[in-house]
Amino acid sequence: MVLTVALIIGTALFGIGLYGALSQTNLVMIMMGVELMLGASMLNLVAFWRYLHPDVYSIQMFVLVVMTVMALEAAVGFAIGTQRFRSKGSVESEESADLKG
Amino acid sequence: MMELRIILLIVIGLIAIWFGWRVFRTDSMVRSAFSLLASMVAVGAMFLVMEAEFLGVLQIMMMGTEMSIMAIFMMMYMMDPGGLGQMDMTHQEKPSIVVAVVSGGLALAVILLTKWGSIVSQAPPPAQQNYDLGIEIMERSMMIFESAGFSILTAMVAALATALIIHNNHKKKD
Repeated sequence: MVLTVALIIGTALFGIGLYGALSQTNLVMIMMGVELMLGASMLNLVAFWRYLHPDVYSIQMFVLVVMTVMALEAAVGFAIGTQRFRSKGSVESEESADLKG
Repeated sequence: MMELRIILLIVIGLIAIWFGWRVFRTDSMVRSAFSLLASMVAVGAMFLVMEAEFLGVLQIMMMGTEMSIMAIFMMMYMMDPGGLGQMDMTHQEKPSIVVAVVSGGLALAVILLTKWGSIVSQAPPPAQQNYDLGIEIMERSMMIFESAGFSILTAMVAALATALIIHNNHKKKD
């Protein structure tokens, strides 16, 4: 019961994050959607650790790795945004068609 | 005790979902960034309810700094940071809603149809958790921990190399 509640909350957060990442036009807003999805996955991991395997610490280690990924995604994303803003004057995804390979 | 924990999880989880929803529904960018901060802090509070003290406090501290930085960047790079121009900042809205609902529904089906096994009622005390996590990092997961550190270094170099203007002096000579 308690595990199901935590997992359902994680699913709702993941769905909102997915909607945001797909529907927003601005790079920073897309990154916010990705952050929400990563937060939801961390919530799932902690719920699995607490209610299924409290003695296995690789799950907490995995949460630390996901947290690192969140920070790195923000850093590299802002770097790309800075360069894009400098050269084109906007970070809108609609105006980034020239990045298509 | 378990009932209280379920109620707390539901209440804090609803707060997290509500603020997560507000992120994409408000016009003001500062409000959007701070809604995401509130949502992430609520996730950290859920970690605390689930007795992962170290991870909960770490999550709240990291998100506090990260979202403040994000708010500054949003104001720099948004075309309409205050939301006064009533610009439409979305595209392909209907397909995104469909994708989000379908993937959420699939995950929900997996959650409800899987037999998760018996729930462990007792978690180790916080001091024991921290000790065991430290031992785990220094023994079995050491390689993973090291690669996480190395990827932070790589991302720092990559971020600087992407964001800085690098003058190519060789080209000027000829």
